[in-house]
This record gives sequence, C-alpha cells and structure tokens, in this order.
Amino acid sequence: MIQSQKRYVLTQSQKMMVFMLSMSLYGLSNMITELIPSLRLGPVEFSVEYFAFIPLTLCILFHPFYAAVGAALGEVIFGEIMLGQFGGLGELEKFIGFSLAMFIAGSLVNDPRNRRQVGIAAITGVVIHQFISSAVDIAKVWVGVEEFEAVPGLAQSVVVVEGVSFLNDVLFSGILFALLPTLYLVPRLYGKIEPLLGMKPRDNRMKYSLGEIIAPRLIVISIVLAFAAFGAEFLAESDMALIDWDADFLESIGGWFIWVSIGAAAIVALITILLMIRKGKRTPQQIDRSGQA
Amino acid sequence: MEYVRKLMDRVSVEGVKIELLNTAYGNGDTFLAKLDPRTPFLWYLYFGIAPWFIHDVILLFGLFFLMALTTMMSRVSPLIIGILCLGLLSQAGYLLIVSWLFGGGGETILPLLKLTLKLSVISLASITVFCSMDPEKLSDGLLSIGVPKQVSFGIAYGYRMLPSLLEEYHHIFLSFRLRGKAPERHGILYLRSIVYFLKIAVLSFYPLILSIAKRTRTTVEALETKGFSYAYQSPEVKRIKLSHMKFTRRDALFLAVSVIYVAALYVLAAQFNL
Repeated sequence: MIQSQKRYVLTQSQKMMVFMLSMSLYGLSNMITELIPSLRLGPVEFSVEYFAFIPLTLCILFHPFYAAVGAALGEVIFGEIMLGQFGGLGELEKFIGFSLAMFIAGSLVNDPRNRRQVGIAAITGVVIHQFISSAVDIAKVWVGVEEFEAVPGLAQSVVVVEGVSFLNDVLFSGILFALLPTLYLVPRLYGKIEPLLGMKPRDNRMKYSLGEIIAPRLIVISIVLAFAAFGAEFLAESDMALIDWDADFLESIGGWFIWVSIGAAAIVALITILLMIRKGKRTPQQIDRSGQA
Repeated sequence: MEYVRKLMDRVSVEGVKIELLNTAYGNGDTFLAKLDPRTPFLWYLYFGIAPWFIHDVILLFGLFFLMALTTMMSRVSPLIIGILCLGLLSQAGYLLIVSWLFGGGGETILPLLKLTLKLSVISLASITVFCSMDPEKLSDGLLSIGVPKQVSFGIAYGYRMLPSLLEEYHHIFLSFRLRGKAPERHGILYLRSIVYFLKIAVLSFYPLILSIAKRTRTTVEALETKGFSYAYQSPEVKRIKLSHMKFTRRDALFLAVSVIYVAALYVLAAQFNL
C-alpha cells in the first residue's frame, strides 16, 4: 500500500485487465466507426475517423503504456483482421504510430481531475497520430510512383490532399470525437472505474514506475525514429532515382538485371525455408530460447 | 441522404454479426485454408512487399491476375472486395482531381493507375492470406513466427467476445433512444438527426466502459484460475500448442506453382521490354 502511494505499480493481472479493457473497447468503437458513412463536401470530408476518446480516456485513467498498446492491438484485430481488411505489414506503421501518440498523450497527464491537462493531452495525442499517419501516406505515394517528381502536379496534390485530411481530422474528429468526449468522460469515470478493476485511482502523488525513467529516453527515441523515417524516405527516393537513370543501362544489358532480382527473391525465400526447417528440427529447448529472445 | 438511409437499413447489427462469422469461419474447406499457416506467410513475404518496388506494368498485371485467382480460390465475401475497390478507386480518383488543379493532365493518369494496381495487388495478397485462415489457424501461425502471445490471445478473445459486445452496445444505444427525445425536424441536410445520433453513439460508451471493465475483471480472474499467466510464459506450452502444425505436399505445391508463375512472368516482362 505504501509502495503504491509512491509509484503507480500494477500487478500482472491488472496490466492484463487494462490491456484487455482497452483492446475490446477501442476495437468495438472501431467497428462502429467503420459502419458510419462519411459525408464529403468537395475536398473536405466530414467523416468520423475514429473514436479517439476511448483510448485517450483509458490512457489518462490507467497506465498509459498498457492502455495504448491494447487500443492499437484492438484496432488491428477488431477493425482489420475481423473485418477481413488486414493490411499485413502496413498495419505495423499504424500500430506504432497510434500507440506512440496515445502513450504520449496519457503520460502528459498526471492529475486526471485537471481539465486543462486532460484537454491538452487529448488534442496533442490526436495531432501526433494524424501527423504520423499523413507523413506515412505521403511517403507511400512517393515510394509507389515511379519518377514521382516528374509527374506534373502529383507532388503538390499529394501534400494538399494529406494536409486537408490532416486538418479535417484534427479539427473535426479531433475536437468532436476526442476532445469533448474525453473532457466529459474522464472526470465521470475517475474513481469509479478503477475499483471495478481492483485498483486505486491515479492521483497527483502517484507516478508511473516507467514515467520518470523513460520520459527523456522516450523523447530521444521518438526523435531518432522520426529521423530514421525521414532518412528511409530520402533513401527510397534516391534509390528510385538510381533505377531511373539506369533505365537505358538496363535496356543495353537486357534481362540480366531482372534475373538478378529473381535470384535475390529466390535466395531470400530459400533462406527463410531453410531457417524454418532448421527451427523445426531444433530441440524444444532451443526453440524456447529463440522464442524468448 | 436517401442512399444513406438505405445503407443503414442493410447494415444492421445482425447483418454485421453474420458477416463477421462468415468472414471468420465461412470458408474453412478451400484449398488455401488447408495449408499450413506458415506457408501463406512465406508467400506473403514476397507478394506483400515486392510490388512496391516493381514499376513494370506487365509484371504488375501478371501479379494482379494471380492475386485475383487466389482471392477467388479463398472465396472472400463480396462485401470485403467491394469495400476494397471503393477505397482504392476513391483514393486514386481524388488524387487525380486535385492534381488537375496543379496542372496535371492525361499524363498523371498512368502513374496513378499504376499505383492503384500496385496497391490492389498488395491488398489482395493480404486478403488472400489473412481471410483464408480461420482465427485459430491465424493465431497459431502468428504465434509460430514469433509474434507476442498477446496478439494470439487478442484474436481468440475478440472473436469470442465481439458479437456479445456489439449486442450490448446496441442495447445501450436503443435504450438511449427510448428514453431520449429525437429532434422533431431533421434540420438542414438531416444535420439535427445526425448530431443527435452521433451524440448518442458517443454517450452509449459511458455505461459500456463500466460494464466491460467488470467483464474484463471476471475474465482475467477466470484466466488466473486456469493458470493463464504461467502458461503464458512457459515455452513448453507453446511447443505443445503448436505441435500440430507441419508442412505437407500441398504447401510445397502451392509455393512451387507460385514461384514458377512469378519466374515465368519475369521472363515474359523481360521479353517485352527488350
């Protein structure tokens, strides 16, 4: 008890509860927002992008890390896999962006009764998430279209489309479905929902066990990740340019280049198969170790 | 607004539940569903990533043809295909219209069509892989390639709980409607009604959050009595759980046909480009 006054420590099953609660609630809301039709007036789309207030509320009320990861997983499982829209690797980016944004929003609040803090955290979470997802969308067109710069009007239009949808999501969805409901729900649920999960409400004096240690590190990691993303983007761009220059070179040499790419694909596939077979042959204990790592 | 109401009529809670179960369990007897889950993952490793870096139209068309074939083989529900087409077309069309404002023209269409083709190959590949498996298979497969156990637990939990959660939400929503008062006039562009419904949709979550919190606690306590957190960390449990998976001749056949097809496609594309 004394310890829990000093630090916000959760037991294993409490973590599990927060995780499951966040997963099932946000997943359910995702399914509902999928069903709400969107209204499009020219370039401005009034759509209910997501009910961001649910993960925001839970991140503010409980430990932000477990609530954020649970919500992101809930979106992937309920909103994508179960509706048959699972995008495979593309979901990884959504998962990371969303859980990072929600975690940061939750960590900004140290007193859930302080309305101003809650409001700032809610808007910040939405802005971070939307910014990440717009940047990724722009990068996708960038990578996907050959000679991106050469196509007239495409670069500007991508930026404009993404910029408009960013503003729309922040101003419309962000205020109506993140800020206002969060401000409504957090004070109402505070002190009421925690006993249902068998834990004490977060209060001013409590700090997360992770909070103080990770906060500076988290900022550094986010910056590094952002730079890595930009770096990857530039690399991709220069890579594309290389291939474009080499177009005539490719023609002169013929199909040779293509065989190299087939070979590379075959080698990757072969290595994967070999690794799988190897893994199958290993003793169980070794599998355990690799599973743990 | 008329079509919205029609759409709402068709999209009822019951319909959604049936569609969900159909997506999950409706096609367990297809060729793809009988594969070992790791085989489609391996297959996806190529078809989910490679199209991003392919700019050859013939190649892309060939890949698209293969994906269309596998999608048909996995008997995906038409609803999902419809949603996919709508999303892809609207995105590309929107980009096209805006690019016209910035001086783009006919020459913008081709790259955008290519991008759409690319995206549809990738989406169809993921639909083939992830919709052909039933949830147990998918979660076992994910577990075997080293995805954290939370994910496979989440899938199992989601499929079990979602229908009842949806129903509960629907009940709360209906009771809000019963006790509340709908706006007397619809307002301009149904604005009043839309605001009213959206407000209820948000408010309904307040009781739902509390009741799901209670339900979660019960579930976790039940899991504890079954020794879940011990099994969660024990590698032996994972080994026993996954021991039923093995590669068969069918998997080899599937991979071999795909590899041969793609290789032939590269040769064909090279012939045309010369």
